[in-house]
Amino acid sequence: MRRVTLHPLNGRRAASTALIVCGALLLIGSATSVARGAIARDAARARWVEIEAERAVAGARVSTGGARWSEARGTPVARVTVPRLGLDEVVVEGVGDEELRAGPGHMIGSALPGDSGTSVISAHRDRHFHALGGIALGDTVVTESASGTVVWTVSRIRVVPADDSALEARTTPTLMLTTCWPIRYVGPAPDRLIVEAMPTR
Amino acid sequence: MHSLGRAALAAMMIVGAGTAKAQITTVVASPPRKTEPAQQAAAQQRERVVQDSVARVAMTGMKEWVDSASAALAIRPDTVPTAADTALGTPRTATAPAPKSDSASTRTAERSSEFRDGARAPDTATPIPTIGLAGALLILIGVAMKRRERTARVRARR
Repeated sequence: MRRVTLHPLNGRRAASTALIVCGALLLIGSATSVARGAIARDAARARWVEIEAERAVAGARVSTGGARWSEARGTPVARVTVPRLGLDEVVVEGVGDEELRAGPGHMIGSALPGDSGTSVISAHRDRHFHALGGIALGDTVVTESASGTVVWTVSRIRVVPADDSALEARTTPTLMLTTCWPIRYVGPAPDRLIVEAMPTR
Repeated sequence: MHSLGRAALAAMMIVGAGTAKAQITTVVASPPRKTEPAQQAAAQQRERVVQDSVARVAMTGMKEWVDSASAALAIRPDTVPTAADTALGTPRTATAPAPKSDSASTRTAERSSEFRDGARAPDTATPIPTIGLAGALLILIGVAMKRRERTARVRARR
């Protein structure tokens, strides 16, 4: 009768194979998430172009107001650009996982950029708001929404703990861009970067 | 070889930590217990008593209550007082603060839902970069282990 013995080297081979397979699965998972985000971002941009076209047509037909914009979650509601940083993103409604995958999210219940009150726009630090780490006081931010195009000037930059009640409701138009802080950090970032801007004109 | 094994174990623990955390959160939720009708009645009675005492505390600020109650009625003109409306029941809708709950779902919703004065910044933390980094680390360790194993196999043949 033939006796089968497990050589120690075979065990090591199995362990190394298992590690490589696990690592590959994790990499594939994260790559899939990034790819889905890129697809959702492209879809949001395409939808934004359509909405702008619809608005232009409606604006030509009716002198007062334009097309009524949808406020459903995931629908593009604004566009935010920071020319100095090369940041140009389409903002979607909502700040859930799905919305933040597609682009910066407009916090439901806050004002649209340009309306009276606080407008909160948030995004992931490793994707859409990665450039926000280089923002400085006095930088120009431009927003386009149903309320029109508004040019903002960064007036305050602060870093607060993640559980800090940092968002204030105001009566005057205020733009708050938020993301995780530090920008380069492995693991769940403990703080939040909050950039406040006031309308320039 | 031992050091590589330890590194692999450490990497697996780091990667598994996030997943295990989520699993524990879901596992901890206890199933609803079956209660006898008599126990249910007793629990309802206790709850009623607690509600009454809370409502009594809310009525200490009578001026605020009257103001807010009138404001609430002004907002909802369709609201018609009925015999069922009691002095204890009305202020709950008018002035009583939102009931606080420590449940995980409530905390999650509070963390990243709708805007209000004093709200937290939305939860923009994402584990994707960490997961990707952990995956790359595991692959590197696995490849290094495979190389060592090949070297050891060649030596064993000699």
